[in-house]
Amino acid sequence: MSDTQPIVVIACEVFKEMLAQAMPPELAAQITYLDYGLHRTPNKIVSSVQRLIDEIETPSLIILGYGLCGSGITGIQSRHHTILVPRADDCITMFLGSRQRYYQEFESEPGTYWLSKGWLESGSHPLKEYEEYRKKYGDKDAMWLLDQQYRHYKRLVLVAHSQDDLDHYRTQAQAVAQFCERWGLRYEEILGSDNFLQQLVAVAQDLDKADGNFVIIAPGGEIRLDQFMF
Amino acid sequence: MSSVLERLSTAVIAGDAENSVKLVHRALDKGMDPKDILDNGLVPGMDEVGIRFRRGDMFVPEVLMSADTMSAGLDILRPLLAAAGTQLIGTVVLGTVKGDLHDIGKNLVGMMAEGAGFEVIDIGFNVPPERFIDAIKEHQPNIIGMSAMLTTTMRAMGHTIRAIEEAGLRDKVKIIVGGAPVDAEFATRITADGYGSNAPSAVELCKSLASAS
Repeated sequence: MSDTQPIVVIACEVFKEMLAQAMPPELAAQITYLDYGLHRTPNKIVSSVQRLIDEIETPSLIILGYGLCGSGITGIQSRHHTILVPRADDCITMFLGSRQRYYQEFESEPGTYWLSKGWLESGSHPLKEYEEYRKKYGDKDAMWLLDQQYRHYKRLVLVAHSQDDLDHYRTQAQAVAQFCERWGLRYEEILGSDNFLQQLVAVAQDLDKADGNFVIIAPGGEIRLDQFMF
Repeated sequence: MSSVLERLSTAVIAGDAENSVKLVHRALDKGMDPKDILDNGLVPGMDEVGIRFRRGDMFVPEVLMSADTMSAGLDILRPLLAAAGTQLIGTVVLGTVKGDLHDIGKNLVGMMAEGAGFEVIDIGFNVPPERFIDAIKEHQPNIIGMSAMLTTTMRAMGHTIRAIEEAGLRDKVKIIVGGAPVDAEFATRITADGYGSNAPSAVELCKSLASAS
């Protein structure tokens, strides 16, 4: 199927390096990375991705480099294309390398706040929020608001698929960790892998290899929550 | 509406907890009925917050500060309402499901449901199915409200409903669900009785379910 269809990649910028390593450049006819910041208002993911899909004329296999991202990708329509998307709740699953690993980590400590390249660079973490809130509401209210959001968390984890990324983001992550000490969060680092992304690239070249870790949307279909849930 | 109640509504909208406490005391000093202060001071303020939030004119931090302001007022009124034997319109048990520790939305629903006249039993966050079951047995609520903030933990809503069925209690309660990633289709799929897309609509849902039960 994908032998005859061009492959188009639409992915969150957070996967840029991982995808560049996993995907031979000649394989994809077109690769577009979208801003991480879209994650903070999930509706924007749908409209941005849909606009790109709608611009593609030749029926293609579209690899969507996104997780479910808090229902952020539900509602995307395949039109006359086929969409291949990893069956992952979010990018943390992709950095860890498998769904099983994510569920294990989740189960061992539900109160985990994950920090990754994207989260650190898009500015969505407690320390950055503190700076934003303080400007808008003053110090006392800013701290109160953050207490409401983060008081139940137990662990702050920097996750990356490579040791290089862990080393690169450590200083930033530790600054966030220091701030989060007020809620007693302990800091950890987890080295994941790019296994899941490698599988995605392999499946893109042969859709018959798709197992329960992937969702395929046929032409005329739509991404729905239940394809990921059940 | 007297001006003290109008000012109380304004304090709730502005998230000015200090002022709302003063205004509640002033209204009580004037001899006003606690139920009147709640229904015509605090609640209209919070209703307006809901409207502005849905319109995009207010954001989550401001809503939280308003909720805290209403809560401060409610804390003063609660014992007085209870002493006056104010009629409750039903009992709601609220909890965030197993694995999920986000409770902002659930707390907001609880506070607004209390303002609307429900007895609210909040069983907290990271609540396993068996604790929902125990709460049904203990409190015999009209409604169970479950919240989840993550797609990872949404599945626990379905598991909890199944556990309630297996315990033979499903026909004793109405079950409603909500939280950022949840939608109406998901609610139907897991056989919930309703879905609230935000706190005010969850409370409206509670009212209609309680009056039908």
